[in-house]
Amino acid sequence: MSAQFTGKSLGLLLCLQCHATVRALSIRYPRCPRCHAHLFQRKPHSLGVTAALLICAAVLYVPANLLPVMYTRSLLEDEKDTIMSGVLVLLHNSWPIAVLVFIASIVVPLLKIISLSVLVVSAWRRSPRQRAQRSQLFRMVDFIGRWSMLDVYAISLLVALVQIRTLAFVGVGWGAVCFAAVVVLTLFAARTFDERLLWDAAP
Amino acid sequence: MPVVVCPACDLAHRASNAPVTERTRCVRCHALVQRRENRAIDTAIALAAAALVLFFLSNAYPLVVIDYNGTTRSATLLDAAAGLYTQGHSALAWLVFITTVLGPLLQIAILLYVLIPLRHKRQAPGQNSVYRLLTQIRRWTFVEVFMLGSLVALVRLSGYAEVMTGVSLWSCGLLMLTLAALTTHTSPAQFWRWVERSRA
Repeated sequence: MSAQFTGKSLGLLLCLQCHATVRALSIRYPRCPRCHAHLFQRKPHSLGVTAALLICAAVLYVPANLLPVMYTRSLLEDEKDTIMSGVLVLLHNSWPIAVLVFIASIVVPLLKIISLSVLVVSAWRRSPRQRAQRSQLFRMVDFIGRWSMLDVYAISLLVALVQIRTLAFVGVGWGAVCFAAVVVLTLFAARTFDERLLWDAAP
Repeated sequence: MPVVVCPACDLAHRASNAPVTERTRCVRCHALVQRRENRAIDTAIALAAAALVLFFLSNAYPLVVIDYNGTTRSATLLDAAAGLYTQGHSALAWLVFITTVLGPLLQIAILLYVLIPLRHKRQAPGQNSVYRLLTQIRRWTFVEVFMLGSLVALVRLSGYAEVMTGVSLWSCGLLMLTLAALTTHTSPAQFWRWVERSRA
């Protein structure tokens, strides 16, 4: 391929809201002429904000997995469930569902934090290696992130259903709050990361 | 010369070189750069109306009914958020409420609000800011994840109680599909093409 032009080198801004291509003006806070969204060459402070969100998510990942997400009280027994013990309970009922929950609630958040960190560091260092693969990794992380909410919804339904006076009761633990915070923080982290930064130093 | 810029890697493509096939991908990073946008606005309005009906069905009937030694309990979509709220976890309750109830409702309402005037070549007041709100809300609507989550809850309960699925579980599934169709049908590029056509 011959010389490659980018939007940046041509002085063009792309509106991330409506995908209009706009000629960059020397105005301080330009807005899209079509949809009036704020325009910027790259998302402002992208790497710093993403890194900050990732650090918070990584810290909260620990209590999310150690604290109980759910309390079960019934006539016979009192139980505390962490995410992992919930997966083990499910293993008795149906193993495909247990594997699904394990992947969605334990593997995906962890992989998401790790891969976004790798992307931030490599974008910051302007690493020239495997740009296409990293770009693809980002798209995958962005797509898969929402599925981690799975356990939060399952718990919310159990809480709503199992309130049978003195017979059985399900309560939410602080682990669930930490877990939801991890998911939301990583969703924001993927949103604040500007994937074009992976390509900026490309020849 | 018209230029199309890749939203994922900022590579500029000459628009005349891009053939109008279904999808045009970036030559460098393979992200979707352009799609053929010639869908009908009437279909979008019909989908939104269908989604609205399904939304009300999903909220009016219980999702799941359980029978625990003769005592029955049922839960609606709203109960899932309300249960968390009564236990004092209001942040969690808001998260569930926004992503499963408010998100879908706002999406449908905003689309009907902007599309119906647009069909008559008029623009709703505040159309641009409302549409920008829509693109934000789309990222926070997780009906499909909620469906899978309720399946997990059903499996967990099946050992302790008799579990029956409610009407809402089915309409929620249909709502999920309708919303997905609606989202692809009213992509930003398509929407702004309708707006430009109405201005012409």
